[in-house]
Amino acid sequence: MTTPTAGAALGNELRAGTVAKVGSTKRIQELNGMLHSNRPNVDITRARAYTKVYRETEGMPSLMRRYKASAEVYRTLSDNVYDYEQLVGWPTKRIRGANFAIELHAHWLAEDLPNLRDRTYDPFEITDEDYKELEEDLLPYWKDKTMAVQWGHYVSKEEWNRGQFGGVSDVSNYLCANGSHFIPAWTDVIQHGFVKYYEKAKDLLAALDPNDPASIDKRIFYTGIIEVLEAIRDWGERLSAACARKAAEEKDPVRKKELEDMAAMMKRVPWGPATSFHDACETAWAVCFFLFVEGAGPSITWGRFDQYMYPYYKADIEKGILTPEKAMELIEELYVRVTSNVWFQSTQMAYIFGGYYRYPHLDVGGLDENGKDASNELSYLCLRAMRYAKTTSPAVSLMLHQKTPDSLLYEACELAAEGMGHPSFFNCEGLYSMLEHRAGGLDGYSNYTRKDILKYGSPIGCVEPGAEGLQYGHTDSGIINVAGAALMAVTNGVMPVESDNMFAGKLLTFESGDPASFQTFDEFYAAVKAQIKYAIDEAHANLLICEKLLAEQFNLPTFTVLLEGALEKAKDATAGGAKVNVGPTMNMCGFGTMVDSVAAIKKVVYEDKAATLSEVRDACMNNFKGYEDLRTKLQAAPKYGNDDDFADEIAADLWKWFADCTMVLKMYRGHYCDAAVQMVQSNVGYGAMTGATPNGRLAGMPLSDTMSATQQADTHGPTAAARSYGKLDFPAYTNGTLLNMWISQSELMEKA
Amino acid sequence: MEEKTAVLFDIGRFRSTDGPGIRTILFFKGCPLRCQWCSNPFGLAGAPQLAVNPAKCTGCGKCVPVCPEKANSLVPGEKITVDFAACETCGKCVPACPGGARTISGQTYTPYELYREAAKDAAFYRKGGGGVTLSGGEALVQWEAAAETLRLCRSNYINTCLETSAFAPWEHLWAVAQFCNTVFVDLKHMDSQRHEEGTGVPNEQILENIQQLCRELPKRGGKVILRLPLIPGYNDGEADVLATARFAAGLEGHPEINLLPYHDLGRSKYEMIGQDYPMPELENRKNRDPYLLSLQVLCRQAAPENRVSIGGDAIALD
Repeated sequence: MTTPTAGAALGNELRAGTVAKVGSTKRIQELNGMLHSNRPNVDITRARAYTKVYRETEGMPSLMRRYKASAEVYRTLSDNVYDYEQLVGWPTKRIRGANFAIELHAHWLAEDLPNLRDRTYDPFEITDEDYKELEEDLLPYWKDKTMAVQWGHYVSKEEWNRGQFGGVSDVSNYLCANGSHFIPAWTDVIQHGFVKYYEKAKDLLAALDPNDPASIDKRIFYTGIIEVLEAIRDWGERLSAACARKAAEEKDPVRKKELEDMAAMMKRVPWGPATSFHDACETAWAVCFFLFVEGAGPSITWGRFDQYMYPYYKADIEKGILTPEKAMELIEELYVRVTSNVWFQSTQMAYIFGGYYRYPHLDVGGLDENGKDASNELSYLCLRAMRYAKTTSPAVSLMLHQKTPDSLLYEACELAAEGMGHPSFFNCEGLYSMLEHRAGGLDGYSNYTRKDILKYGSPIGCVEPGAEGLQYGHTDSGIINVAGAALMAVTNGVMPVESDNMFAGKLLTFESGDPASFQTFDEFYAAVKAQIKYAIDEAHANLLICEKLLAEQFNLPTFTVLLEGALEKAKDATAGGAKVNVGPTMNMCGFGTMVDSVAAIKKVVYEDKAATLSEVRDACMNNFKGYEDLRTKLQAAPKYGNDDDFADEIAADLWKWFADCTMVLKMYRGHYCDAAVQMVQSNVGYGAMTGATPNGRLAGMPLSDTMSATQQADTHGPTAAARSYGKLDFPAYTNGTLLNMWISQSELMEKA
Repeated sequence: MEEKTAVLFDIGRFRSTDGPGIRTILFFKGCPLRCQWCSNPFGLAGAPQLAVNPAKCTGCGKCVPVCPEKANSLVPGEKITVDFAACETCGKCVPACPGGARTISGQTYTPYELYREAAKDAAFYRKGGGGVTLSGGEALVQWEAAAETLRLCRSNYINTCLETSAFAPWEHLWAVAQFCNTVFVDLKHMDSQRHEEGTGVPNEQILENIQQLCRELPKRGGKVILRLPLIPGYNDGEADVLATARFAAGLEGHPEINLLPYHDLGRSKYEMIGQDYPMPELENRKNRDPYLLSLQVLCRQAAPENRVSIGGDAIALD
């Protein structure tokens, strides 16, 4: 055994949960400790339920099987109640479990199961019993039936490999992480409970005319929805009984009363209307984890929490049954609980998106439906709660605008100075403009009304614009490594041999021309644009197939009932039940590396004529071995992020080109594709697969992250970098943009 | 008339010292003083000069053949040795260095170019009252270009500060200072002989300039702040500080006094231009140093109507 280093020692203490005991009260400290003392683990409840139902329903309509399986999951969810908690219900038997979607993961898991416990990125614990059941019973049933396997029936092996492992036009993430990026109709479900949808589905079912051909599928739809909702109702009863049992055993009179109250609460919500702030928090928690269990992807989002919770907060304060401290404690408990949702990903994807993080969002601030500042006391409490709870989730975000009060901004800066990555700052003007054009095509408009946007619009996932109860679509998906695409313009479509890629030394994209044939910069630049467009088009073709598969076989009843109007339409979320359908989108990765590569070639090859493009190609092919002088020259060329128009003009133009190529593409559900820059850490994974690039970056090194300047290339400080970023047309990226900037902690602290 | 240009050794953006808010600091090259504790040795000489960062030198030897003066020499396995006296600042070695260890410190700008540089960050100045600060070196050595730069900035609503030793003819000082929102004047010692020992020049002109500036600048809407760089063993004795405080108390408008703790952050820069750091090893002081706090109390007693603060950032609280 090796001696643990200081860092490892801290890691072990974190695992023991002792150092993680932070929070504003003893209750939160204990819950936080409990959270951290559990390692991410696999829960097979969902896998077992799906397998059972699918075995029993061979031959039934696909939608019916899915809905029955979802209902079975609710019937088998754990009913654990732990000490100290005030909210009830957990998605898994053990805290920090992953109730993973076997119908998406079985093909790779069947091979990789032996490595799951100690793989480098995102290892998972699993009991020997569950391991055996997976290996012998569950995985063999599913491994030839997953979505990714079925996609393979529609394309050639070569195309499948390019989309999964080529690392330039990548869609591997999409079919493993669906049912995601969603803001359910919070205002509605908290106010009315699931019973409203139950009654509505019953009414709609009763009103069907069996002589109408459209009623055939609708009848299956409504019957299935009713079964799922009944299972949700029974889950509440089951948890209420569990609380009552625990209360009966409890000796401490204060805790006993708490448990009795919790038992009563579980009879009210989430099935019925919330009657207090505490009730509303329970519905917010239960719905959040229901969706995390039903879908396989990230970011079930709380959206504008400070808006829809405020009526309950205000009423309870006025009644004298709630204090701000008590409200903050409940918010902190929500933070701890939501952090328990870990993201289960394939080994390949964990390499790119590793860290278990499942991207829930909680947004504060913003405007109200009349365009006035919407902040209230809860906005401050949500920011303050994170300073105490110090959990990774949710991503607490401030929706910033010209009318944001200074005091709220300062509260947010105090949180930022904690250095945890909270809060995210969202520019409302940009966000609202993106929503106006979301999935609307080139120069087109979305279906959102102004009121939809102002009242319900908020970010989801990493940075994507969404709206409460109105929008569905898995927003990340097609990942376009533009640094790789620019490299392909230099290498005539070949990934350099000196790279850790399945296609090293082989044609990966298409032949855009021998570099020796590009006499002018414009000729070379046209090849860069052609390579980008090729990568986007290829991803689009693959994603259309994925969308079709999902609409037919990956239906999501709980998502569907929480979409405004989907019940009336009798359309599942995946088949277009939402008011605004979005995604899959095109995500740009390695933007700064691409810009610096093109700028370096423009400067060194076409302006200074210090090298030929063929020499640059050879240098990249050989990972700059023997081309150190050329690398020095390329590195000395102007770089994006320094307020230098030489590089920034290329940036602004390619930025727009990517968006234009994307927004003309029509998706399976009839809307248009959106462009995005949002992948937070994928620059490391895709960098590892990409050969040396003409900006002097060596093979395998990380690409530039998000839309930020290349690492260490922005040498003129944050204001110069901000001015470079300001030259880009942000709202053209209707699926959101993300910028990482590092600022010294001292800049955010009061000066002593 | 030929436009005056200025030689600068650095332009710092997003700085939070030497004035309120987010600032762009223009570092003018050349200084008549030779303060032993100077933390910006690049600002001493007026002409552009070669600077070599030994931390980035890999000893590859690529600079050796390109130098016409044969100023670079290499013992294999070690870092390059530079004969700075032989260097003619031709700059040929700068692009030859793969590690980027070499720069020519000193570039020429017109006042309009400097104004444009400062105006780039105008959007970031607004909220916190930020703007441009002339520093150095001593900006008054190039007073004509400095004055024109600040005139352009001030007339375009950019907050302006000057950080100066005030060692210049009054006309030169006033030509620049008249456009300033704030002038920071360094005052090193009240005793002229001691002043000359530490800085190479006497203090009579400086003291006269400060008195006149305190009379004139407020009429133009500007203010003066006195800065005392407290160098252990040189001017941080109670008697020295008391003398300065009494002088400040007698000034018109009772300017704020900044007590600046000693630091040796400039030490590594001397090596880069082939010079030795003139100061002995001294401990860096913190803003909360108890001795500094006692000096602050002393100053407050001697100059009850002047604000006395430690460190150079206090103005940010205005």
